[in-house]
Amino acid sequence: MARPNSDLLRGTLDMLVLQILSEAPCHGYAIGQQIQHLTDDRLRIEQGSLYPALYRLERHGWVKSKWQKNSASKRRTKVYQLTRKGRERLEANIENWQRFVDSVSHVVPGS
Amino acid sequence: MALIPSHRSGPRPGFWARVAAKLGARGRARRLAARMTEEFGFHLDLERQKLLNQGYSANDARQEAERRFGDLSDIRSACRVEYSIDPASGGPGEPPNHSLGETMHTVVQDLRYAVRTLRKAPVFTAVAVLTLGLGIGANTAIFSVVNGVVLRPLQYRSPGELVFLTTAFPTLGFDEFWWSAPEYFEYKEWNQSFSDIGAFTTGEVSINGGDAPIRVPGAFVTAEFFETLGVPAAMGRVPDRDEDSPGGNNVVVLSHELWQRAFGSDPQIIGRVLDVNGTQSTVVGVMPPKFDIDDSQVEAWIPMQLDPVNPGRRASHFLYLVGRLDRGVSIERANAELGPLVTQWNERVGGNHSPLPDTHFINLKPLQEEVVGEIRPALMILLGAVGFVLLIACANVGNLLLARAEARQKEIAVRTALGAGRGRLARQLLTESLVLSLAGGAVGLALGKWGVQILLATNPGSIPRLAEVSLDGSVMLFTLLVSMLAGVLFGLAPVLHLAPHNLSPALREGGVRATAGSARLLLRQSLVVSELALAVVLVVGAGLMLRSFATLQRVDPGFEPDGLLTFRLFLPGASYPAPSDQVSFLNRLTERIRAVPGVTDVTTMSGLPPRRRVNANTMQFEGIQPSADGPPLLIDFFQTVTDNYFRTMGISLVEGRLFETQDAENTVPAVLVNETGAQTFWPDGAIGKRLRQGPQSPWLTVVGVVKDVKQDGLDEETGSELYFYYPQVAGVFGSLTMNVVVRSSVPPTSLAPAMRQTVWELDATLPLADLQPMSTVLFDSVARPRFLTLLLAIFGGVALTLAAVGTYGVMSYTVAERTHEMGIRMALGAKAGGVVKLVLVQGLQLAVIGLGLGMAAAFGLTKLMSSILFGVSTTDMITFVGVPALLAIVASVACLIPAWRATRVDPIEVLRAE
Repeated sequence: MARPNSDLLRGTLDMLVLQILSEAPCHGYAIGQQIQHLTDDRLRIEQGSLYPALYRLERHGWVKSKWQKNSASKRRTKVYQLTRKGRERLEANIENWQRFVDSVSHVVPGS
Repeated sequence: MALIPSHRSGPRPGFWARVAAKLGARGRARRLAARMTEEFGFHLDLERQKLLNQGYSANDARQEAERRFGDLSDIRSACRVEYSIDPASGGPGEPPNHSLGETMHTVVQDLRYAVRTLRKAPVFTAVAVLTLGLGIGANTAIFSVVNGVVLRPLQYRSPGELVFLTTAFPTLGFDEFWWSAPEYFEYKEWNQSFSDIGAFTTGEVSINGGDAPIRVPGAFVTAEFFETLGVPAAMGRVPDRDEDSPGGNNVVVLSHELWQRAFGSDPQIIGRVLDVNGTQSTVVGVMPPKFDIDDSQVEAWIPMQLDPVNPGRRASHFLYLVGRLDRGVSIERANAELGPLVTQWNERVGGNHSPLPDTHFINLKPLQEEVVGEIRPALMILLGAVGFVLLIACANVGNLLLARAEARQKEIAVRTALGAGRGRLARQLLTESLVLSLAGGAVGLALGKWGVQILLATNPGSIPRLAEVSLDGSVMLFTLLVSMLAGVLFGLAPVLHLAPHNLSPALREGGVRATAGSARLLLRQSLVVSELALAVVLVVGAGLMLRSFATLQRVDPGFEPDGLLTFRLFLPGASYPAPSDQVSFLNRLTERIRAVPGVTDVTTMSGLPPRRRVNANTMQFEGIQPSADGPPLLIDFFQTVTDNYFRTMGISLVEGRLFETQDAENTVPAVLVNETGAQTFWPDGAIGKRLRQGPQSPWLTVVGVVKDVKQDGLDEETGSELYFYYPQVAGVFGSLTMNVVVRSSVPPTSLAPAMRQTVWELDATLPLADLQPMSTVLFDSVARPRFLTLLLAIFGGVALTLAAVGTYGVMSYTVAERTHEMGIRMALGAKAGGVVKLVLVQGLQLAVIGLGLGMAAAFGLTKLMSSILFGVSTTDMITFVGVPALLAIVASVACLIPAWRATRVDPIEVLRAE
């Protein structure tokens, strides 16, 4: 497998995180697990690499977080959820992505 | 008292507000850190639990969870970075309008991150820092010399006003001719441009009164000399005008160094009476450390006591003048004023010398120029050379960083993916480069300090002012600037490497790896090309110096230096007043020395080759009329010798005869002439011809012609030389300073104690100066070219090595990039030879471009070397063919290793990966 292309990764990771959060608020670990699941482990990045992305998204105001008491483990968990701005961002991203895939498939048959 | 002003106090945050913001930022950072610990801990716990459920042992589960998470500190710092970026600001990741506190915070963060990353790659860091340290160290050392010798002003009062005055006789080959005492007095009186003019002449003086009789470099000066330079004595005082007048008290001023060395820093030295050249003289002062004139290493200053009323012969030129320009007077104005003084001399004083504006004119130059002007080109060449070495080092480190950037592709990709913008990454990479270069600078400073010590130790006397060289503030500043400049220079390589990300988004997403890859490759290849080009220039320079020095080494000095021991004696006129006293002393001395075991021959002579000062004595030649407006007829060197001179020195007779003992009784003085002299004045045979010094002098008859001896330096044209027999002409051409030359059958240095003992048995007050083997005299006479050759050869060698390593690195990289292609070629039946050729051709293409550019640059730049080359043209064929050939071979080897590796590619492996 080729090394992950950075640009592809950058766009994809943002989109994936937003996509996952659009379904339900999650903590970091769960987001990571879902990414691995959704991509069939193809996006082989270190689990920790997810967090800087989350911090960035949060800083941009696309996601927000709050600390919740986990009743089972009695530990505080940081849970992320999508904001309205984040949802708009996700939609714009998907649209861009679709446009890009379309244009590529015009050029590269069978892709 | 309100220490913390309210926000209403002004639109700009005041100091306290900034501090508060900074403290706030620190508090935020602490809170953020605690939260990250908690969040990541939670994540790791969950992963560990999952692994435990999958059957991992407790320990394995923890380790695996940590491995999967990735480098905790990297992620923490990435999160911190992400968290601190203000999304409200413009470009992605460009530093927004942070407060001072936050900017500082980012800088510190970058630094920490850089140090951590570098620490994680110790081999890379060590190689890069050492490479840079080498380059920067060389620059520091050479700049220390340039700074101390050329740039730093001379250590006199307002040194910029000091001017060195001589006259020039271009037709005779004299750039700096002396003045006579009458001329000096006239100048002092008539000129309007100088506030003071002092005169001096340098030579040697014998001093008795310290631990042992010593002979040291000395200067005879006028009282105005010290007034002109404006340097007071460190102890006592400088001589006053009375002491500089005829009949004044005899006084002497010592150098600080002599006072320390010979008088044990005696605090009671002032007022002590010493025997100076046979005269009882009172010490009136000690000069400050390193005080000197015109790099003569003067250790004793003695008033000249010239008599203005009876100043002596107008044609007796022996003085150098140093003047201090009046405030606001330029050297050009002084020149305009003083020029006519020389040319109108006859009208003023009624002399018979007829100077013409284009054959004899005044020559003014800044004193600093006089002292360092000659060495400046050589030092600038060295500085240029080390500059090149550093550029090559930078190119190499740039290449290393690029290779590392390849390896860090993933890290950079992740960071980019996580939203770190190009500006942010560029700053991070530059910070890393700067940390590297500053570390290199620190190593360089240490190496430079060491280098300066080595330079000082290995280079006695061949460079002026070397004692003033030190690692001072300006050197440190230079090193710092050079390091930072180097850091930015090689730091640009990996930053440029980021550039393809700048392409339009559509292209970006499409993954144009080939284009990005070739841009990177181009960058690396241009680094190699420039490296090779720089190396060519340096190695060509070194090659020219080596060829020049080899030519110099092959110069025949005209005598047999091996097995000779030599030392110099000065016979004080007071102890040896009559010429016969001198002759009988020399006879007794040589007899005794001959009896010393190991001595096979001994003789004495007035001037020791190969570093004599030219005499340039005007002569009348019987039957030769000097042309009216042509140069006067001169004999360049007078040499007065005693018995067995030619046998001891190994100088052969060409025609006629040598001196014989009977000549001493003969009333017609016999002289020998060297071949150059014979050919210049008597091309049709010199034997029997006569010449004399002036109308009143006796005629001298040439009885023999001997082989030329290099008197004035191995790199100089041989001058005309006239030999006198001391026992015959002691009263006229005798010399109180004589060099004893001993030929021995044992190592010459082993005879040194016996020589001292023998001399002191005859006269315990006589100092023996420069007691050393003749081979050392010759060796020292080429100290400067040897020094320059050695340094340039070292720099050339370093350049060659670095360029080879750089080429090897890039070719290895290219091969690694093309592993896949190679595999397929091999699978399709390409032979190993074909693959080698493929790689080699590619590498050699680079080499050829580099060599071509380098040759062109060398062709232009070596012109600057003409002043330091001897017997070799600046476009010397052998060098200009040999060096590129050498570099081509080195480059080929550097390409062959990766080429050979390419043939080891296993096609199956490559195809399987497909």
